[in-house]
Amino acid sequence: MSSKEAASKEAEAPMEVEASPEQKQAETRRILLEDITRSIGFLQRGITAAETHYIYRALRTLSSLRKRLQPEVLAEAVAARSAAENAPATRDCLATMVALLKQKPAGSPKAGACEPEVCLFLGLLSMLYLLDSGSREAGAELADVLLGVASASQRRTVDPIASRIYFYYARFFELAGRLADARPALLGALQAATLTGMKETKTMVLTLLLRNYLHYNLYDQAERLTAKTGFPAEAPSNLLARYLYYLGFIEAVQLNYSQAQAHLLEATRKAPSNAATAGFQQAAHKIYVIVELLMGNIPERSLFRAPTLRKPLAPYLELARAVRIGDLTKFQDVVDRHEAKFLADNVLVLVQRLRHNVIKAGIRSINVAYSRISLRDICLKLHLDSEEDAEYIVAKAIRDGVIDATIDHEKGFVQSAEVHNVYGTSDPQYAFDKRTGFCLGLYNDSVKAMRYPGGNHRKELAYAIEAIKRERELAHELENEEYDDESDEDAMDEDL
Amino acid sequence: MAAPTTQDLGRAYENVRAALNAPNPNLGAIKPQLSQLKVGLVQLAMQDGAVERDREYLALKRSIAELGAELSIKAGETEAFERYLAQLEPFYFGGRMGLDESKVMYPLIGLNLLRMLSENLIADFHTMLERIDLKQLQTNPFIVHPVRLERALMEGSYKKVWQARSEVPTPEYVFFMDILMSTIRAEVASCVEKSYSGLPFDDAKSVLFFSELGDLLKFAQERQWTVSPAEKRITFQTAAENPRTFQGESIMGQVLTYARELERIV
Repeated sequence: MSSKEAASKEAEAPMEVEASPEQKQAETRRILLEDITRSIGFLQRGITAAETHYIYRALRTLSSLRKRLQPEVLAEAVAARSAAENAPATRDCLATMVALLKQKPAGSPKAGACEPEVCLFLGLLSMLYLLDSGSREAGAELADVLLGVASASQRRTVDPIASRIYFYYARFFELAGRLADARPALLGALQAATLTGMKETKTMVLTLLLRNYLHYNLYDQAERLTAKTGFPAEAPSNLLARYLYYLGFIEAVQLNYSQAQAHLLEATRKAPSNAATAGFQQAAHKIYVIVELLMGNIPERSLFRAPTLRKPLAPYLELARAVRIGDLTKFQDVVDRHEAKFLADNVLVLVQRLRHNVIKAGIRSINVAYSRISLRDICLKLHLDSEEDAEYIVAKAIRDGVIDATIDHEKGFVQSAEVHNVYGTSDPQYAFDKRTGFCLGLYNDSVKAMRYPGGNHRKELAYAIEAIKRERELAHELENEEYDDESDEDAMDEDL
Repeated sequence: MAAPTTQDLGRAYENVRAALNAPNPNLGAIKPQLSQLKVGLVQLAMQDGAVERDREYLALKRSIAELGAELSIKAGETEAFERYLAQLEPFYFGGRMGLDESKVMYPLIGLNLLRMLSENLIADFHTMLERIDLKQLQTNPFIVHPVRLERALMEGSYKKVWQARSEVPTPEYVFFMDILMSTIRAEVASCVEKSYSGLPFDDAKSVLFFSELGDLLKFAQERQWTVSPAEKRITFQTAAENPRTFQGESIMGQVLTYARELERIV
């Protein structure tokens, strides 16, 4: 019986007799058990067909199952799978599961065999229950046992489930505040996954490791890890987005701003934009805004208006304003006021680097406004400490190509160079080239990203064969000259 | 040769430490003693693997590496200093191998930061900053000094960097500050070339932090500036590149790329 029927029965129930709370409870339990059994059915189909496609179908039910999990039902589902002929590792794992769920082990006379996939799936459900009910210790213990089962199996069908097991494994350690202890297991898993070609597990473990390193500010190790490992190209886009975000963060810390900007932008684009991913979008955009500012660009105003971003990005908007105007006092004021916030977002050090961008912006606007200005006035306008400082700063700005001017040291003023026609230089050419390159890259990427469902060409082939057959028949009929007008018309119709 | 015990090594270390702390240490004599200490450490570890977890042994190991770092600064060996700091890393960050905070930890980290600045390893500098406790970052004089320097360098307030030389927290910092100064002078020179048309000798001297005219003239010669002794002036050639020059090669490259890409599309 499917859950639909069960649901309709439940709806009917109040009409006949008022169902007691116990009855209702028993009903929901039964539905839950059925749903779990159905998911396991998908898993088994996936295993026999060696198709991950069915496994994903089972995994998709996770979020709906998660909300209704009950330890008794889980234990029942586990009991139904605890056959005596199971592999010892699996048997132990199932036994631990029941023990950690604080249920009595119940033998079932007609218990079926348990494949590693099914065992891991049940384990995943138990872990989710433990996570939601706050039993972290038990959860961590279970994660440890499940890891053993996951790493023992090398089947392709285990891959998607195992990757989720690793995710929650790391999550339990993070909640317990000892993320560093998860590292050896994750590194081992990365090695195993790379060797056996488990792509999804590999991508998941890579992102988990990066998160792990960044949690302890180990940017060096994280950078080396990304340099030494390749990220599988066919990774799911949510994992890719996460990976790109971490990559962008590392590069931002190491002053590789242009790369960081590209990666962060891609991360925000790749991540699905719905309510569930709002947190990720906010985190990614925060760093993105700072990297843009560090590069000397001002992020678009519309970015700060997006409904999910407006509130969390408010301090960043003020920051962007201060940098745009080039007002050092205002900038310092914003930094001081929102220091706790920037600290919580782990970007305070990046924000403090913005100081010289503020100065640069200030110098640029002065250079545009005045054709000749004394160093003393610059010093006053930018709130610098001394005229000598101002002189060096302006000199550096000239060398770095921020402004085009000359300094007269004896008379103490800065003379802006005449603005020459931009269209006389090769600047437009470069800008044009950059945009063309972007468009071509976009085209190539979208071609690569297209999916061609397998076996589609066969349908066309069958159609073509049929058409040839028909044509032959027609030709045959023509040859025999045994057709009347009617059949001719039919043939014409068919041809059309 | 019988391997020494941890206590023996500890005593030997105290002797070397006293020799290094003496007003005028004989660096040449201390070096072989330090090597002996390091050999002793390895012997201990080979004899008994469990000693690697012994707190006393670990503390000694750290002290010896710190001694090595200080010695290499005094002897002016940057590479050796870098190696010792790499050895000290597990003692300074993360779990600190279960030891208490070392007294010389922040001075040495500060020195390492300064070394990165003087070698222009800005990315490494920032990576290191991320690992330092934020409170220390804002208050510890040994850390604040290089952080301020970096900020001044990025802004271009070279005067502040020059002044920072007299505000070093410990004399060891001067070693790297001197290296830093020559880097800065080169930096200032490249700015001056671009932004001034000419400078009188006196002004040039102060801008480039020279006290003697002779040094300035020598420096000017190295950078191939035009010096006219009669006017007492240095003039810089404005090597303005003509923006209108035809960059044939790059345009050809671009067009060929477009052609190739379009070919792929059609």
